[in-house]
Amino acid sequence: MPDATLADRAIVMRQARLHARISRRRAVSMLAWVLCGAALAALCLSIVWIIGLVLVRGIAALRPSLFTTVTQGTGGGLLNAIEGTCVLAFGTLLLVIPFGISAGIYAAEFRSSVWARVIRFLSDVLVGLPSIVLGYFGYVTMVEGLGWKFSVAAASITLAIICLPYVARTTEVALGEVPQSLREAAYAMGAGAGTVTLRISMRLAMPAVVTGVLLALAISVGETAPLLYTAGWSNYTWNGHLTGSPIGYLTYVIWAFINEPFAAAHALAYAAALLVTGMVLLISVASRMILLRAQRRM
Amino acid sequence: MKSYRAHLLAAGVIGLGTALAAPSQAAETRVLETGSSLLYPLFNLWVPAYTKDHKVEITTQSTGSGTGISEAVSGLAQIGASDAYLSPAMRKQHANMLNIPLAISSQMVNYNLPELNGRHLKLSGPVLAGIYDGTITDWDNKQIARLNPGVKLPHHAIIPIHRTDGSGDTFIFTQFLSDSTPHWQQAHGYGTTISWPAIQSEIGAEGNQGMVNALQQNPYSVAYIGISYKGAITQNKLGEAALENRAGKFVLANDKTVQAAAAALGGKTPADEAVSLIFQPGAESYPIINYEYAIVDAQMGNPPARDVRDFLSWSIRPDGGNAPHFMNQVNFVALPAAVRRLSQKQINEIGKEQNASN
Amino acid sequence: MTGARRAPGFGIGMNFRRLMAILGGSVPVSAVAIVLFLAVYAWPAIRFNGFGFIASNSWNLGSLYAEPVSQGGAMILPGAQYGILFLIVGTLLSTAIAMLIAVPVGVGAAVFLAEALPGRARLWLSFLVEMLAAVPSVVFGLWGYAVLIPLLGHYIFPLMTGLLGWIPWFGEPAGSGYGLLTAGLVLSLMIVPLIAATLRDAITAQPMYMREAAAALGATRFETIWKVILPGLRPVLIGAGILATGRALGETMAVLMVSGNALNVLPHSIYAPISTMAAFIASQLDSALQDPTGMATRALAEVALVLCLIAVLVNVLARLILARATAATSQQRA
Repeated sequence: MPDATLADRAIVMRQARLHARISRRRAVSMLAWVLCGAALAALCLSIVWIIGLVLVRGIAALRPSLFTTVTQGTGGGLLNAIEGTCVLAFGTLLLVIPFGISAGIYAAEFRSSVWARVIRFLSDVLVGLPSIVLGYFGYVTMVEGLGWKFSVAAASITLAIICLPYVARTTEVALGEVPQSLREAAYAMGAGAGTVTLRISMRLAMPAVVTGVLLALAISVGETAPLLYTAGWSNYTWNGHLTGSPIGYLTYVIWAFINEPFAAAHALAYAAALLVTGMVLLISVASRMILLRAQRRM
Repeated sequence: MKSYRAHLLAAGVIGLGTALAAPSQAAETRVLETGSSLLYPLFNLWVPAYTKDHKVEITTQSTGSGTGISEAVSGLAQIGASDAYLSPAMRKQHANMLNIPLAISSQMVNYNLPELNGRHLKLSGPVLAGIYDGTITDWDNKQIARLNPGVKLPHHAIIPIHRTDGSGDTFIFTQFLSDSTPHWQQAHGYGTTISWPAIQSEIGAEGNQGMVNALQQNPYSVAYIGISYKGAITQNKLGEAALENRAGKFVLANDKTVQAAAAALGGKTPADEAVSLIFQPGAESYPIINYEYAIVDAQMGNPPARDVRDFLSWSIRPDGGNAPHFMNQVNFVALPAAVRRLSQKQINEIGKEQNASN
Repeated sequence: MTGARRAPGFGIGMNFRRLMAILGGSVPVSAVAIVLFLAVYAWPAIRFNGFGFIASNSWNLGSLYAEPVSQGGAMILPGAQYGILFLIVGTLLSTAIAMLIAVPVGVGAAVFLAEALPGRARLWLSFLVEMLAAVPSVVFGLWGYAVLIPLLGHYIFPLMTGLLGWIPWFGEPAGSGYGLLTAGLVLSLMIVPLIAATLRDAITAQPMYMREAAAALGATRFETIWKVILPGLRPVLIGAGILATGRALGETMAVLMVSGNALNVLPHSIYAPISTMAAFIASQLDSALQDPTGMATRALAEVALVLCLIAVLVNVLARLILARATAATSQQRA
């Protein structure tokens, strides 16, 4: 009888230690979840705060005249800036779509070739180059070197170079998802590389490729530093010249006008911030919806 | 069906592109003015008034005198606004550049001292030099107290604020420090940008507007700010210092003191008008005044040359840009008649070679 | 089939490849052109500056109003010297602080998003986090300047010096709100979505059997994530981390508006003003253009070159670490 109680006691004590360890682990896990939740909460608070600031002060500054008058000194409207942003975005996409998608196609379809590897590596290098460096490059080579002055051409080319690696990489990844069997079937039916890629692989990869292009659009709308040195600034709407004439853009207004000690300037800055952030968010939402719809179809 | 969509998309894209590319205005000349943040408020008053009756599109930018000079030299801007004239080396390298005074402005030394913003603290060049090179570190320093007997100065570190961008305000301020303090002239000199002595608490700001903001956000700071921002200073209830002039008197910047300093120069403005008005003699002279320059390329080609000439000619006229109602809004002083004639002579040089063929 | 030389459709075979190669060559050509251009343009400055460039804190454009003199084999303004140690330190420190904040917060948020939330909440909160990635950097700068700096400078920093002042680098003076910690904070907000979104996708993609196995062994939900799922995702975390570092290193506008723009001084506390290479190039280009000898713009090009080299180095390092980590995990699985 005494031996049994000793043994029982040992068992009970071992059970107790085990339970203690489990409760400790549970407590630690609970604490960990709280910390993770706090991290997420901090993030969400920040985004609400930033977007909230832009929304509140931006909406307060919105008036119909913003869209119909040009900037006059530190007041006026945003017509020139809005139009300029659109022109620059259009110019950038015009350049980045053919060149970027081709780079992605080559890297995906001729994957093991030397050139594809060069493209892939240097694409990573290009994506790591800070945008101010590209702006500086654009300033010295195009604005000054080629004598284009502040111009749509210099700005669009600089923005296009910034966006190239994003479009190339998205296209490459998208094409990589296309099953090889599809390509083989197409080749077996006698199609050449062009047909296979453009009419078959690209069609399947299109949603993801479009996402990459939309990303390029978002970048060209939201960039500031390189444009300061390639597009300059203009208080008037675009006069149609690709070189020799500066152009306005929304991010300039945010950067330059928030510092002016005039309330009208601040209002313009917040309105511009609202427009830019709104545009980029819209593009981001569109991107996501395209991907979701494509996934659902698959 | 699919080709319809593709064609529609293409049409939409082309349509959008054409709409955006369509020239918005017919052949109106575009002029870019960039540079001095001190001149910027005045240009923003001039441009709407001028373009009401004249067909030209002038864009104004506040980027700092350094940018004004460099962009005018490289042809990116047609009018470079600058509080500083071109350096001798620049003038040698670009002999076709003109510095054309448009008005006379001045510079304040402002501070943010919680109890003393209402009264005008007395400061001098050597004291400011000491503050900006770190030898005078606290507001209740003996040298400041000596200039301000009976004033209760706070025991707190001074936060000097300087410009980070290439600035005409830095140019005239450091000229003042150099002229009044030989030690500063030797150690640091003057320029649109200098290597500011490293002081732990100092702050760099962009543009006059940045200086006003930094001053307002940092109690116990001191900054040099162009007179056209006097409104912002009074609005934010910040302080303005009375500066010691060459005659030993402490003066504030106003029309009388600025005109006294300008008159002290006598007829000594040279033809190229690149001259410093800093620290002029005279009991009433304000020590930091300067010509506000338009840096312009005399060899400018003709579509902008004629418009630039016309605009600049209007801006120096006493019934045009130099009229009292413009000058008073920015606290500038109109050009004296002799200087105006020199400026007009330089303005006539713009596009002169091309003029012959017109 | 014998008579048909050309296949139906485009059938442009080899020419298509060549066309893609040429158009796609814009990527390598741009990358090489930019780095080569910087190197060539900066060469006179590199030769003039020597190693002192990255070792000294002496950025001085010289007497802009004096006559150029000949020194060290080049024409420069008297007193001109270019040393950017403070920029390198500012860049590395601000990026380091940004990563120190962003990685734990990003991992925590990703874990919570992937595991602790029901479907709809997960969708909406993930979207919220990704919205942070969509905000342009100048808007971050705007918010930092208008909201964060007054808050930090007037309330939080003085509180921190009070509570944490005994730790070196956390003590007085609390500064004005413009400085290293503020820049690091704003940068971390900009890079956190990268880490959180990538990791969250990777966690949700992990197969259920791993979770089930861990649960069968008695692990708590969190222990499953921490000890079983996450270790396998180390390559993903490293990849996202590298991209984030790259972005933080090159960030210009937001840093320009909140960092305080220090010149020739190294920060002595986390509240002290700093300058980063990217922001410096943007803010000093105008002054440098006033140097009639042109040496200043070439010195700025040298700064850009150093920045590029650091960015490329980080990238290459990432690939090496990534390759080794992927090999290790695949070995583990095998």
